[in-house]
Amino acid sequence: MSFLSLVGIELKKIHRSKIVWILAIATVILWFPSILNARINFEMHGEGISPENNFLIQGFMGMAWFMFPASMVVGTVLLNMVERSNKGMLKMLSLPVNTVKLCLAKFVVLLTLAAFQILMTVGMYYVSAGIASQTQHYNFILQPLFVFKEAGMIFAAAIPMISFFWLLSVCIQTSIFSIGIGLASIVPSVLMINTKIWFAYPMAYPFFVITAEYGKLAANFTTSQVELIPWLPAAASITIFCLFASCLCFGRAERR
Amino acid sequence: MGFEMEWKKVKRTGFIPAFLFGGVLAAAVPVLNMAVRSEVVLGIDAPPIQSLLNANWQMMAMLNVLLVVAEACLMYHTEYADNAMQRMCTLPMKESNLFFGKFAFMAVMCVVILIIENAAIAFCSFHWFGRTENILVELFQNLGYELLLMLPAVLCSLLIASVCINMWVSLGIGVVCVFMATMLPTDNFILSLFPFALPFQIFAGTAKDTVCHFIMAAWIEIVILTMIEVLFLKVRRLFE
Repeated sequence: MSFLSLVGIELKKIHRSKIVWILAIATVILWFPSILNARINFEMHGEGISPENNFLIQGFMGMAWFMFPASMVVGTVLLNMVERSNKGMLKMLSLPVNTVKLCLAKFVVLLTLAAFQILMTVGMYYVSAGIASQTQHYNFILQPLFVFKEAGMIFAAAIPMISFFWLLSVCIQTSIFSIGIGLASIVPSVLMINTKIWFAYPMAYPFFVITAEYGKLAANFTTSQVELIPWLPAAASITIFCLFASCLCFGRAERR
Repeated sequence: MGFEMEWKKVKRTGFIPAFLFGGVLAAAVPVLNMAVRSEVVLGIDAPPIQSLLNANWQMMAMLNVLLVVAEACLMYHTEYADNAMQRMCTLPMKESNLFFGKFAFMAVMCVVILIIENAAIAFCSFHWFGRTENILVELFQNLGYELLLMLPAVLCSLLIASVCINMWVSLGIGVVCVFMATMLPTDNFILSLFPFALPFQIFAGTAKDTVCHFIMAAWIEIVILTMIEVLFLKVRRLFE
């Protein structure tokens, strides 16, 4: 069975899970205050950032710090529960399919959910920027190329974090622990981005990247910038380790 | 009876270790914060408890609320998994008793984690501020206030968990609600009455009037949420 068709099957499994609705509600809640408080964007003289950039970056920061990682934890619960209920996992393991492939297919589905949520955020950004432009009589809409670049950076930076959450949900059978550790690990990311060892903490990556962008766009406000040298090797090794360990653990409890 | 039954059910689900671990984690926040950057907190010109809570409570409350949401989902997941709920419904007891048993259990666990957290704050103020007058009375008041403000969040997350059969739906809605609570402006009284935003309030340094308003609002929310749950269970029973 090819990898693509496995991913297709996994997507079909979560077809009726209503997860898309939850992600959609989250993005609407994210941008709603930005529309109401659009006037604040004109008061950022101290930071020296233009109103339209501030509108975009503040929204993305709101998403990257809590909502996006937390949705990914919910996504891992979804992928896990789909297999656990009614012993679906046992049936999957009895099929002539490589378990490593199965595990990776599920991870790809998780990445798809992440990409989908970011795309929805971008879509909602354009809607809310359009509304804010109407109410404030100022053009808040930015070039699509720039917006997609920022969104793409958040997504790329989130891959190590998502692989860590996936490892948690695969290896820890007690669901409350995997959810609890996942959710609790998001909270300190605000503190971690201000330390020197931020690159060792994958949950802080998306928020760090978008904060660094804020520092770049604001003339009078400096934030620590991305240094590729300790970061890229650290991120790559975390991702590879997490995926490797989760492939090893996948279905182990059921195989015993 | 409901309480005892809940204790038996959650014994092997990791519920209690998770609660204790969450409490210890939240209690570690002020200790670590003081250990790393005590000069910032000591520099605030306010009574010790107030400056400690101002510096740390947002993060501690966030951990508490996330813990409550996750545990509420788990509590109802044990009922809905493998259709245990249908068996529960055939027992000679009201379905709402199940809810109240769970609520009582969660409330007791909330007391436990709040004691752990307040003990950590007491430790910080003894160790770094070194002043002892009236600190215990203030901490007990703080504990009671935080507990009362946490109960609407507990009820609301249990309500969500009892409505949704699938765990990820209830967890997802709970997480979205917590996210909404963090997005709400803190200076608006009406908006900060959102059940998941209430636990973020701080007792120390708040005007007496505001505290009274929040206490009243929390009681009203508790009554309303309980009524909604009882009503919902009755209506759902009709259509099952």
